[in-house]
Amino acid sequence: MKNALFIFLFLFQIVVFSQTKKDSITISFENETISQSLKKLEEKQAVSFYFDEKWLEAEKKTITEDFKNATLENILSALFMNTSLNYFIDNNKIILTQNRIVYDYFVDNYFKTTTKNSNSGENSTIQNKNDISNFDKDIIYIGKQKKGNSSSKHTISGFIKNIETDESIKNVKIKVYNKNIETTTDDRGFYSLEIPTGTHIIVVETINAKGNNKKIYISENGTLDFNISQKTIGIKEIIITNKIQQKIKTSVVGATTIDLENMKNVPVLLGEQDVFKIATIMPGIKTTGEGSSGLNVRGGNADQNLILVDDISLYNPFHFLGFFSSVNPYSLKSVTIYKGSIPVEYGGRLSSVIDLKTKKPVSTKLSGEGGIGPVTSNLFVNVPVVKNKSAIIAGFRATYSDWILKSLKDEQLKKSSASFYDFFTKYNHEINKNNSIQASLYYSDDKFKITSDSLFNYNNRLLGINWEHKFSSKMSSQLLINNSDYKYGVDYSNKIDNKLSFKSGFNINETNAQLKFENKLNNKFTVNYGLSTKLYKINPGYLNPKEASSLIVPIDLINERALESSVYLKTEAKLTEKLLINIGGRYTTFSYLGANTQRIYESGLPKNDATLIETKEYKNNEVIQQYSGFEPRVSARYMLTNSLSTKIGYDKTYQYIHLLSTNTTQTPTDIWKLSDINVKPQIGEQFSIGFYKNLNEIYEISLEGYTKKSKNILDYKTGANIVLSNKIETELLQGQGKSYGVELLIKKNTGKLNGWIAYTYSRSFLKLDSQYSDERVNNGAYFASNFDKPHDFNSVLNYKLTKRYSFSVNFVYQTGRPITYPIGKYTYANSEYTLYSDRNKFRIPDYYRVDFSFNIEGSHKIKKLAHSFWNISVYNLLGRNNPYSIYFISDNGQVKGFKTSIFAIPIPTITYNFKF
Amino acid sequence: MKRLSSLLLLIILFGCTEPYLLQTSDFEEALVIEATITNELKKQQIKVSKTYRLEENGPAFVENADVTVEDDLGNVYQFIEGDEIYESENAFEAIPGRTYKLTIVTNGKVYTSTQETLTAINPIEDVEVRDLTISGVRGAEIKVKSFDPTNSSKYYRYEFEETYKIIAPKWCPYTVTVDYSTKELIYTPRTYEARTCYSTVKSNELLLHSTTNLSEDRVDFKVRFIPVDNPIIMHRYSILVKQYIQNLESYTYYNTLKTISGSDGILSQNQPGFFSGNITCTTNPNEKVVGFFDVSSVSSQRIFFNFEDVFPSTLQPGYFYDCYDNCLELDPFACPGVYNYCFDITPGTSCRGNIVESFLNATPQTYLFYSGPNPVYIVPQPCGDCTIFSSNVVPPFWY
Repeated sequence: MKNALFIFLFLFQIVVFSQTKKDSITISFENETISQSLKKLEEKQAVSFYFDEKWLEAEKKTITEDFKNATLENILSALFMNTSLNYFIDNNKIILTQNRIVYDYFVDNYFKTTTKNSNSGENSTIQNKNDISNFDKDIIYIGKQKKGNSSSKHTISGFIKNIETDESIKNVKIKVYNKNIETTTDDRGFYSLEIPTGTHIIVVETINAKGNNKKIYISENGTLDFNISQKTIGIKEIIITNKIQQKIKTSVVGATTIDLENMKNVPVLLGEQDVFKIATIMPGIKTTGEGSSGLNVRGGNADQNLILVDDISLYNPFHFLGFFSSVNPYSLKSVTIYKGSIPVEYGGRLSSVIDLKTKKPVSTKLSGEGGIGPVTSNLFVNVPVVKNKSAIIAGFRATYSDWILKSLKDEQLKKSSASFYDFFTKYNHEINKNNSIQASLYYSDDKFKITSDSLFNYNNRLLGINWEHKFSSKMSSQLLINNSDYKYGVDYSNKIDNKLSFKSGFNINETNAQLKFENKLNNKFTVNYGLSTKLYKINPGYLNPKEASSLIVPIDLINERALESSVYLKTEAKLTEKLLINIGGRYTTFSYLGANTQRIYESGLPKNDATLIETKEYKNNEVIQQYSGFEPRVSARYMLTNSLSTKIGYDKTYQYIHLLSTNTTQTPTDIWKLSDINVKPQIGEQFSIGFYKNLNEIYEISLEGYTKKSKNILDYKTGANIVLSNKIETELLQGQGKSYGVELLIKKNTGKLNGWIAYTYSRSFLKLDSQYSDERVNNGAYFASNFDKPHDFNSVLNYKLTKRYSFSVNFVYQTGRPITYPIGKYTYANSEYTLYSDRNKFRIPDYYRVDFSFNIEGSHKIKKLAHSFWNISVYNLLGRNNPYSIYFISDNGQVKGFKTSIFAIPIPTITYNFKF
Repeated sequence: MKRLSSLLLLIILFGCTEPYLLQTSDFEEALVIEATITNELKKQQIKVSKTYRLEENGPAFVENADVTVEDDLGNVYQFIEGDEIYESENAFEAIPGRTYKLTIVTNGKVYTSTQETLTAINPIEDVEVRDLTISGVRGAEIKVKSFDPTNSSKYYRYEFEETYKIIAPKWCPYTVTVDYSTKELIYTPRTYEARTCYSTVKSNELLLHSTTNLSEDRVDFKVRFIPVDNPIIMHRYSILVKQYIQNLESYTYYNTLKTISGSDGILSQNQPGFFSGNITCTTNPNEKVVGFFDVSSVSSQRIFFNFEDVFPSTLQPGYFYDCYDNCLELDPFACPGVYNYCFDITPGTSCRGNIVESFLNATPQTYLFYSGPNPVYIVPQPCGDCTIFSSNVVPPFWY
C-alpha cells in the first residue's frame, strides 16, 4: 500500500461551458504548453479535464498548430502525441491518465472483483463510460492508448525480483488471469507475454507469495516489473520448495529443486550444510555408503552426473574423502537436479545434471553470512562495487581439523592430517539493461594423510565468464567461456630409503565455450538453441622418483586430448491449454585427438597382449577416433484436472568420459578416461512418466516412474589394475545396464508442521557377458549393481514451536547394498585362497538412521547488528552401528571379516550462523 | 569444544572397524583342480580337492575320482589315487604340438578342461645370487635369468624349493640325565645325527612374471630375497628354481588369483569376485569350478652358496632359536641356562642342582645338557638337536 500512487488524489477539476464533443472545433495554439492548451480548450469548449497537475508539469512539450473544424479527438491526439499522457472522453468530461508507469502493487484476493471486467476487457477500444469504474487506484497502464490498434496484441515484459534481496527469481509462472496466456521467467527472472489490448490481471504464481497480481490496461508494448516480497513465508518453513504450480505445469519429468535458503533446518552432520547430503534424502538419489563420494542417480554410476557450478563442470565435488561437499552452501542460491528430462543444453553424462547456481551479487547493499561449526568456519560476503551496476560476492570456508589433530597426544593421530578449504567469488556487472557480464572463480583444495608416509592432495579450480545479452524482450542469448581443472597428487616419502620416495598424480583440464539462445516466438512457442564445444586435456598419470638416483622408473603416460562439440535445438509448444510438449534434440561429436598411441587388437577377441596386433602412433591434432550421436529429448505434460497433471519423457544421452575406479565408492584418486579406439562411449536411454497432484495448495504429491537402459557401462575384470597403466583397456569390460524404479514424494510446504516423505523402489542391474570367461561376470547374467538398494525411505519433518524455535527430525531407511561375499576357502599352489560368491549376490545389513535438530532463531528485532541462528543437532540419534562396508582379509591363511562403521555413535553438534 | 571436535575427527578418520562374523550358511562347495602337466618325463600329478568352510582348516581331498588326460591322438593317461594326490599310472611327458584335455568324473559329475597345448620350451639360462640392499635391508637376492630369442615364451611362473644346512650350535655328543640317588650326571652317546640337518621348504606364493612390455623376451626376475640376518643362509643354502612357461590364459588366471587375495585400505576396497579357469562342469555348466589345467614346459636349475661366498667378512646370522649366547653378566650364574650344580638347600645358596635335575630327567626333554659338570649349561632343545625342527637326512642332491 505504501508504494501505491493515488492517481486521482490531487484531482483538478475545471468546469467550463459545455459543448458536445462531436462538434467541430476551431482553435489555434502557438507555442503553448499542454497546460495552457488545456485551459484554452476548456475555455473554448464546454469540457472539463480531470488530471493531476504534476503530470502536466513534467511534460515539456509545446504545441503550435491551427485546428479548423477538428474533432475534439483530433485535437487531443495531436496534443498528447509523444507525451506520456492519454485521455478518455466521457461526454464533456475528459479524463487524463498517465501511462507507462510501473508500480509495485499487491492486491489481495483480486480474483472475485475483477472477473467480470477482465472478461469484457479483451475487445475494448478506448474505454467507454462503463469502464470508468475500472480506473481506480489499482490499475497500471501499459502503453499509450491509441484508437485503432484495438485488435492487435502487445508484448509486456519485465523482471520478477525478490524485493528484499534484489535477486531475480527464475522459473516463476506468470499468467494472465482467465486467459490462456502464461509463461515462466527465465534464468534472469525475465518474462515476456503477449496480451491483447484491454484490461487484464497479471498473476505471478509462487507458492509462498501468493496473489502477486497487477491489474493492467495494455495498449502498447511495455514493461512491467514485479518485486515480490517473500516476507510472507515463515523464515524456516520449508526446506525444499518445488514451486507447486511449476512442478505440475512444466513438462520436465524428474527434476528436483533444493532451496538452500531453508536448508539450514535439516539436521546435518557436524554442522556442515551439504547440498549433496540433502539431495540423497530426495527420491532417486543415492550414495553407496555413508560418507562416500559420488551420487548414484536412478541407478547410474557416480561418474554419470554432470555437476555444474554456474555452468562450469566440477569434477570432484567432495571434501574429506566424501564426507562433505566441496561447494560452500552459503554461496549457493539453488540446486536443480535433473534425473530425467535433461535439458538439451546439457549433455555428456548419462544419468543426471546437477545444476548448482550461485547467488547473484546484489549491487544495492552490503551483506554477509557466516557460520561457525566444530569442523569448519564459513564466511560469505556480498559487496556492491558500483551502486546498481556491479557487485562482487565471495565465500570462503576452511577447516581447522588439522591443528586439532596436531594438538592431540596420540602419536598415530599426530602424524595424520586432514585439511581443506574452498573459495568462491563472482563479479557481476550490469552494463546496461540488455547486457550483463559475470565472472566466477572457484577453488577447492584438500590434503589428507592417514599413514605417515603418504600425503594426498587434490584440488578443483574453476573459472568462467558469462555474458548475457538481450536482443529484445523475446530473444536473449548467453555466451559462456569457462575452464575446469582437477588434479590429485600423492607424495610418498619413504623414511628409510629416500630413493623409494616418489610423487605421483593425475590431472584433467576442460575448456568449454557455449553459446545459447532463447527465442519466444509467441505465446505458444519458445525455441532454445545453441552450440558448445569442449576441449579435454588429461594427464592420465605420472610417477616421478624424488631422487635422481632412485631405482624407481619414472612413468609419464601420454596426455589424452579430445574435442566434444554439440549443437542443440528445443521447441516448447503449448498446443492446447492442457497439452504442453517439449521436443528437442542434441547432436554431439567427439573426436579423440593425437598426439597419442593406440593399441589395436583383433576384433571380437578379448583385449589382451595376445590379441594385440599393433601399436599405432598418431600425430598432433590428428583425429584418432570419432564418435557422434543424436540425442532426442522429448517430454510432454497434460493437465488432467486443474491440479493434477501427467507427464512423460524420453531422453537419450551419450557419455565420452569415464571415471575409472576399482573401488565400490568414488575416491579422489580415481582417474578419468576419455573414449578412444578401445573404449566406447556410454549410451543411455530413459523413459519416464509422472503424475503430479497439488492438494489444496498445501500438499504436493508426485509419483514418478522410469526405466533406463544403457550400453557400454564400464566395469573391470576381477583383480584389475588401473593405476598408471598404459593398456587400461585390457582391464576394462563394457556391459549393459538396466534400471527401473518408482519414486513417491509427498510434501507439505506450509503450516507449523511441514516437510516431506519420500519413498523409492528401484532396481539397478549390470550385465557383463562375453564368450570369453575372463570377460564374463556371473555367467553373463544381469546382476545387481553396487548401489542397487531397492527400498529407500526418507522423511524430513520440521515443527515450528514458535517463530523462534523449531525442531526437525530426519529418518532414513535403505536396503543394504549388494556385496560379494566369501563363501569358502581353497588351497592352491601351496597357499590358501578365498572363494567368492557371484558378484553382488549378498547384501550388507539394512541401513537406518534418525537425526534430530533444534533451531533457535535470533531475536526478531528490526534493529540489530546481525541476524543470528543457532542449530543444535544430533546425527544418528539412535547410535545405530550402520555398516559402511564389510571386507575380508586373508591373514596368515585365515580369512577374516571386518565391518566398518563410519558414525556408529550419536554425534552432537552446535553451530552458530549469522547474517547481516 | 576442542575435545569434542577431536573426538569427532577421530571417528571420521578412523571409523569403527570390528570383526564381522562370516555367515557359513552361505558356504558353497566347489571342486578345486590343480593340474599342471609338463614336458618332463615323470609320473604327472594332479590335485583334486574341495573348497572348505571359512572356519575350517585344510582342504578336503576328493577321493574316488576318475582322473584322465587325453591327447589328440587318443592316448589316455589314467591317474591313480595316491596320498592326497592323483598320479599318472605311467610316466609321460607333454609333447609339443599335441593337445591335451583333462577329464575328471566325481560324484556322477563330469568336469572337462579346454584343449591345451604345450607352451614354448625355453630353459632357464641361469640362477644367480648377489649381495644387495633393498629398502635399507641387506640380503641375498636370487634372480633367475632366461632368454627366448623367438619371443614366444612371454609368460612365466616360478616355483622354488630351498634347502639349507642347519648346524645345532650347542650340540653335544651325549645326551645327559641325572642319577636319582647319586646326583651324578650320566652321559649317553647320541645314537642319531642331531648336529647337522637339512630343511627343505617350497615356495608358497605365486611368482609370476611377464616380458610383454619388454622389447625382447629376456627374463631377469627376482624369485627370492633373503635378509642377511635370516638363519637359513647361515651355512650353506641351495635353491631349486622351476620355470614354467605359461600361456596368456593360465597367466591371467594365476595373476588374478594373486591380486585378488590382497587387501586394500579401510575406506576403499577392491571388487572381489569369482573367476573361472578353463575347467567347466559339463553336467552343470553354472557350477563353480576352481583351477586351471596347465600344459607347461618346465625347466629348473639349482644353485648352492655358502654364507661367506655372498657376504664375505660379514657377521653370520644367529640361530633359529635363542641359545643363551651373548650373556654379558659378570656373575656367570646370572646368565640363563647356567647353573651351579650342587644340592645345598640352605637359604641364600647358589646351588641349583635340583633345577638341572628336573630339566634333564624330564621326558621328553625340552632342555638339553650342553656342558658340565659345573657349572652346568642347559640349552633349549633345538639348540642341541636340529632334528626337532628339521631333518638329519642328507638330500641326494646335496654336496
